[in-house]
Amino acid sequence: MIALSDYLILSSIVFCIGLAGIFINRTNIIMLLMCVELILAAVNTNFIAFSYFSGDLAGQIFVFFILTVAAAEVAIGLAILTLMFRSRGSIDIDVTNTLKG
Amino acid sequence: MLNTYLTIVLAPLIGSIVVGLAGNRLGRTLSHSITILGVTISTVLSLYVFNHHVLNEGEIFNQNIYTWIQIGGLNISFGFLVDNLTSVMLVVVSFVSLMVHIYTIGYMHEDEGYTKFFSYISLFTFAMFTLVMSNNFMQLFFGWEAVGLVSYLLIGFWHHKESAIEANLKAFIVNRVGDFGFLLGIALVLMFFGTLDYAETFSQKDQIIGLTLFGDFSAITVICLLLFVGAMGKSAQVPLHVWLPGSMEGPTPISALIHAATMVTAGIFMVSRMSPLFELSDVALTVVMVIGAITALFMGLLGIVQNDIKKVVAYSTLSQLGYMTVALGVSAYSVAIFHLMTHAFFKALLFLAAGSVIVALHHEQDIRKMGGLRKKMPITYITSLLGTLALIGFPGFAGFYSKDMIIEAVHYSELPFSGWVYFAVVLGVFITAFYSMRLLFLVFHGESRVDKHTEEHLHETAPSITVPLILLAIPSVVIGYFTIDPMLFGGWLDNGIYIDTSHESVAKLKHHFHSAFSLISHSVMTLPFWMMIGGIATAWLFSLYRTEWADVIQRRFKRINYVLVSLYGFDRFNEIIFVRGALKLGNLLWKISDMAIIDQLLVNGSARFARFVGSFIRPVQTGYVYHYAFFMIISLMLVLGWVLVASDYSFYS
Amino acid sequence: MEFTSVLFYIFSFFFVTSAVMMITARNTAKAALLLILTFFSAACLWLLLEAEFLAITLILIYVGAVMVLFMFVIKMLDTDKSTLRAQFTRYLPLGIFVSIVVIAQMVLVLNAGQFDLEVIGVPERHDASYSNITAIAEQLYTVYVYPFELAAILLLIAIIAAITLVHRNQPRSKKQNISEQVNVQAKDRIRFASIKPKSSKESK
Repeated sequence: MIALSDYLILSSIVFCIGLAGIFINRTNIIMLLMCVELILAAVNTNFIAFSYFSGDLAGQIFVFFILTVAAAEVAIGLAILTLMFRSRGSIDIDVTNTLKG
Repeated sequence: MLNTYLTIVLAPLIGSIVVGLAGNRLGRTLSHSITILGVTISTVLSLYVFNHHVLNEGEIFNQNIYTWIQIGGLNISFGFLVDNLTSVMLVVVSFVSLMVHIYTIGYMHEDEGYTKFFSYISLFTFAMFTLVMSNNFMQLFFGWEAVGLVSYLLIGFWHHKESAIEANLKAFIVNRVGDFGFLLGIALVLMFFGTLDYAETFSQKDQIIGLTLFGDFSAITVICLLLFVGAMGKSAQVPLHVWLPGSMEGPTPISALIHAATMVTAGIFMVSRMSPLFELSDVALTVVMVIGAITALFMGLLGIVQNDIKKVVAYSTLSQLGYMTVALGVSAYSVAIFHLMTHAFFKALLFLAAGSVIVALHHEQDIRKMGGLRKKMPITYITSLLGTLALIGFPGFAGFYSKDMIIEAVHYSELPFSGWVYFAVVLGVFITAFYSMRLLFLVFHGESRVDKHTEEHLHETAPSITVPLILLAIPSVVIGYFTIDPMLFGGWLDNGIYIDTSHESVAKLKHHFHSAFSLISHSVMTLPFWMMIGGIATAWLFSLYRTEWADVIQRRFKRINYVLVSLYGFDRFNEIIFVRGALKLGNLLWKISDMAIIDQLLVNGSARFARFVGSFIRPVQTGYVYHYAFFMIISLMLVLGWVLVASDYSFYS
Repeated sequence: MEFTSVLFYIFSFFFVTSAVMMITARNTAKAALLLILTFFSAACLWLLLEAEFLAITLILIYVGAVMVLFMFVIKMLDTDKSTLRAQFTRYLPLGIFVSIVVIAQMVLVLNAGQFDLEVIGVPERHDASYSNITAIAEQLYTVYVYPFELAAILLLIAIIAAITLVHRNQPRSKKQNISEQVNVQAKDRIRFASIKPKSSKESK
């Protein structure tokens, strides 16, 4: 039988894979955004596992909203990315350090 | 009776306010009429009060009129204490004030600030009444400060004169020093007695006898000395005397009113009022006596070398104040008040006469440019002569009685240094006679050294000036004879003054006193009389007979002359130590404390420190998004680790 | 071993493996495709957890819309491969280290026994007539209706924002700036030139 702890361990493993992805692909903004999606997927799995094992639908409702917000975030993130590409000609993150202190 | 007292106090105040605010519109005649009316009402009522309290032995009036501040258990109110001492002071103050008011009509005739002047002297009268009639320390201090303020305003009345402004600042600041000591004394009274009311303080006075302050200092001695510091400031005792000669920059009427008759006697009055406290401390009384003697002797010496007519009278005032202080020191409070009263009359007379001379000579004040005026100004001459005779103690005149009583009282005193003090006051008689007669001779006798142009117009001054002179001359002559017995020995002042039985001066005086007339007849046998004769003779010698000998002596004794002319160096000392010291301290505080410490170190320094810290922290913001992400992730890792470790793995239950 | 357990392991294997391959992908397009595979595996896992509605929603919306958007942008923008590879191996050890540490920490906690089968039992399986959509709808439209409406507005804002950011065409309307018009002076509009007329002889 699959216990709750198994689902949780699974989701934490994928979460950490996403973290590692951020570390590895830090220069490529698209890859960054996709690693964030991966993290969100892991977190959603977590929520649904809890919702299933405790019988409370609140977890699923929350996932619903997470999906909504994630979609909006991706849309705007890609719009910003497009603008950046238009104005600088590349998506190299090394040139976007104008907020340097 | 309450309404009477209120009227006495408020009549001059109302006059002052009305004329002060609307003087220009009311015009000169109406202004001086209003103020003179106010002071006349006060004078008449003061005489009535005197009659009631002293002659008819009325009860002491002690009542709080209005509660001013109430803090916890302390109640500070505005109230009246009217006993015989107060009554005497009221009569003196109001009468002299009235004379000065009338005199001012003639003296300030051509001045622009005519109405302002009347307003000020009425205000002064109000303040002096408040001081004299108060029944608690706080109101006394209010009156004290108020007379100081009006003195400042009046000394600097001709405010376009640089010297007047310097003088009024000096007067106020020196007074301030005295007031500081005074205030400390009042604070100690409050601390030890828990109240500022006279009656309550005096009723508890026995409880303070053994108490000490800061170790071995007797509390009552400290209190009395501090209160006396205030008296030193107001009554111009050495070393706080330096302001009085400067105060001659003001118009002559105020020299007469404030700096001869009334304000400077506030200190004397205050010590008399505090006699129950002073009697408990022999040390304080000794100090009072010695300082009075120093003032009496050394200020008199300075009067010899002055060439300004008002300055001579000023130093004479200082010297006589010294005499009064000496009397206080030997516990002869009633004698001091007696001398205060007689001195008020003849010194005001002398000042007003000097003013008359000044006006007649078109504001010439140097006595080396006067002479032979007695033919042209007879009334002024005769009244001055009477005043001078009173001052030097010529038998029969008022000053004779009071001064002789002081000298006798010192003779009977058993305080330490009283021997030296006796020597000083007796010598002072010689010196007083010397400078007073010198002044008289140089101004009114001898050949005329007056400027030719002025001499043609020289004539006696207007009646508004000479009538007060005559009215003041009368008491200068007679009041001593009539009041010495009742005031000193007949118990006039008994219910205001307390004398401890260990101080027997007055008792011995009473023992030896027979009558006023006998004093005159026996005077020929006393040392002061011959001192006075010697003084007159010496003055005649140097001023009329061989005036060139005065110059010879001045050249031969250059050093002594220098010491006297530079006023013993008090002014120089004050200037070097206090004035320059204050300037240097201010400079130091400005450069170091303000500019270096506060500006550079604290204000700029904190900015620089913020920038310095910022220079370390700024590089953390690299601008690269992934750096921020790394920080977040690594912190997450560390926090998780810390939570795990800190919880001691308790989830493994 | 139960069938559902086997399914769990299969789906979780795909989940993890496609995730790992995604982050190490050389090509951004390949990474996107692998992410799609990851989402599919996740959806299957959710089906196992009786969240049917959300599983289908994930596929329809996330994969169907969001990932397609990603593909659009990836293909539209010219991503330079050289900069992709440049610092690939520089932070790799650190990344692996951090991930392993965090995994270890999480596993320590999660395996401690609080979430075991004995503590939190397997819930009842619903029967075939159970409708996940109905159950969610019952909650969503009554208890959580306010966040629901707000989520809708959020999406609207996202639309407007995205369009406004990227919209390239400048509005070509002929608009006047009133204050400038009012402040115009004659010298801005007219220039007087002094021109000598030619003589009548030459003009003929």
